[in-house]
Amino acid sequence: MNLNDLTSPFDEHGRCLPIGLGAPALAQSRRYFQITPPQIDYAAIHARTTKHLGDTGLASDEFVRRCEALMQSLRDDPQTTNITRGIAVPFLLPQAEHADYGEALEQHYIPAVEHAFAKTFPQYRFTNHDKAGLSGKLSVAANSRHERLLQAMQQGPVVGYYFPCLSEYSLPAALERVQSLPEQFLMAGGYDTSAALVGTPGLLQRTDGYPPLLWLAAVQADKPLAGYFYEAYGYNLTFNRRPHFGQAAEYWNSGLTVLG
Amino acid sequence: MTTMTNETQPNKLTPEEQAKREGLRVRKPYVAAKLAAISEMEERGEISPIIRLEKSYLCNFQCTHCSAEYYMDRHQKKVFKIEDARRKIDLDDIRELSRQADELGLARFVITGGEPLVMKDFDAVVEAIDPDKHYIITDTNGWFLDLATAKHLKSIGVEKVQLSLDSMIEAEHDAFRNKPGSYKKVMRAIEASVEAGLNLLLSTVLVKGRAKSSEFLEMCKFATERNIGLYVSYAKPTGSCTDHPEFVIEKEDADILRELEKDYNVFTHMTPSYGSFKGCITVKGIITVTSTFEVTPCPYIDFSLGNLRETPLKEVLARGMRNPWLGPYRPDCIIGEDPQFIKLHTEKTKGVTQLPVPWGQGFSDSDTLIG
Repeated sequence: MNLNDLTSPFDEHGRCLPIGLGAPALAQSRRYFQITPPQIDYAAIHARTTKHLGDTGLASDEFVRRCEALMQSLRDDPQTTNITRGIAVPFLLPQAEHADYGEALEQHYIPAVEHAFAKTFPQYRFTNHDKAGLSGKLSVAANSRHERLLQAMQQGPVVGYYFPCLSEYSLPAALERVQSLPEQFLMAGGYDTSAALVGTPGLLQRTDGYPPLLWLAAVQADKPLAGYFYEAYGYNLTFNRRPHFGQAAEYWNSGLTVLG
Repeated sequence: MTTMTNETQPNKLTPEEQAKREGLRVRKPYVAAKLAAISEMEERGEISPIIRLEKSYLCNFQCTHCSAEYYMDRHQKKVFKIEDARRKIDLDDIRELSRQADELGLARFVITGGEPLVMKDFDAVVEAIDPDKHYIITDTNGWFLDLATAKHLKSIGVEKVQLSLDSMIEAEHDAFRNKPGSYKKVMRAIEASVEAGLNLLLSTVLVKGRAKSSEFLEMCKFATERNIGLYVSYAKPTGSCTDHPEFVIEKEDADILRELEKDYNVFTHMTPSYGSFKGCITVKGIITVTSTFEVTPCPYIDFSLGNLRETPLKEVLARGMRNPWLGPYRPDCIIGEDPQFIKLHTEKTKGVTQLPVPWGQGFSDSDTLIG
């Protein structure tokens, strides 16, 4: 199929269609591993982000205005409107510049997820299973467009939406796919995915089925065929690393980020 | 009968466990080295499944939830009025399986059945597997496991016993196992195994709703207080349980169990262990070799990945790993929780008189998740 023939690169559930790929992805989804659509409470997301990631200097009503404007622009464009039918999670990141991606993720963003999760679900547990440490190990994956997020963070607070819509892709396929999407779509990595979970800590909680694992696909690990991810364990939340070997799995999701 | 290793939560290696590992390193350095290499194998994308060996299905019990009942001669004679004429494995087959497994770096065998301790050639089977090359575990219902037998098992190279206990209420256990007196025999077997220096694991079947019961909590406490691992197997709609769909758990049951793992020495086959996160362990963490040399991807899936008389173990494992149901990492139990796979399995095994369903008719290289 020619990519230019498609009205939208997203299906009616918001899944980014895996077409034109050389790397593995499941052509069709039986929609078995799903995220329950979260209730979006902008004020609560703003408050949690301020508490756990630091004051962004952005007022709550301005955060709401920019989020809604971003979603409206996606809805208004026939090419992108379908992505708004899927899971969409607003997030807020404070201005920051980090010399070491892994160190910042480990020392700042993952603990923020832990604290937000613990505050929201004191009866459950967040566990970082990666005991080897992240310092000096992570870089931005080539062709992920993720560096644009980092540049935006250097300029000031960042408002965005996280879409875990690259479902059932291998990591190489996710990176391949983002290159053929409109320019506003960036591959999600460690900071934006963590910010989405800080604002919406129950994103991966599900009682009637299993949610997918969320890869940080824009982040290149020290070994080329390994990656880092957030994953539910029952009602609990975990961070971990595993080899992926460039394979596709029904359980695996990567995310796109759009900045507003 | 179900099988699992005694693995606890990651980063919680107890001094007792460390001592056991050191002991194994001294007694069986080759086996200890292979076990220690498993995490490196996984990092390279290789697998090291436990091999469950079903040499014989003879059993002195007739349990309500038995996954092997449909493989048993007594079932085929009674229900289908047939004799299984397929060629059965012998000790030479087991030696060849042991050799191929060792070549692939596999390190663990579980002798299961049936009830292994009724097998007249049990000792010969242990010898054929080779306790100096593989870590050997035996399943048992405990009926014959007195102190003398436990000491004998230890002396011939068995390292671990996995003992079935299905309720802390004596009458319930005996009723579930259809064997009066079996609870008392399990309690005796626990003491005997510990005294003989065998590693011990209790295994129990989780039916829907049991995770919330005070009885189950008591079992978790019982095992934890004695520093014994409690391996929990979900009831699956296969074998004798085919007639008990009400036993099949819901996600809530699995999630309650995950919470109990925080406080008790209890785990399932999907519990992260020693830093390994396999999720559903089909092929990746376990295979079953049946009495006819067929290989199935778990004790409860009655589809073969191939017969070891025709296909080398390496290729059988590769078939499993490239199968979309079995190979990819997933957090749930495919045969215990995935309704689509359960339906597929039920349809393809219905009316089949000789299990497992051969390669190509159950699983095949053209399998997809959809359609």
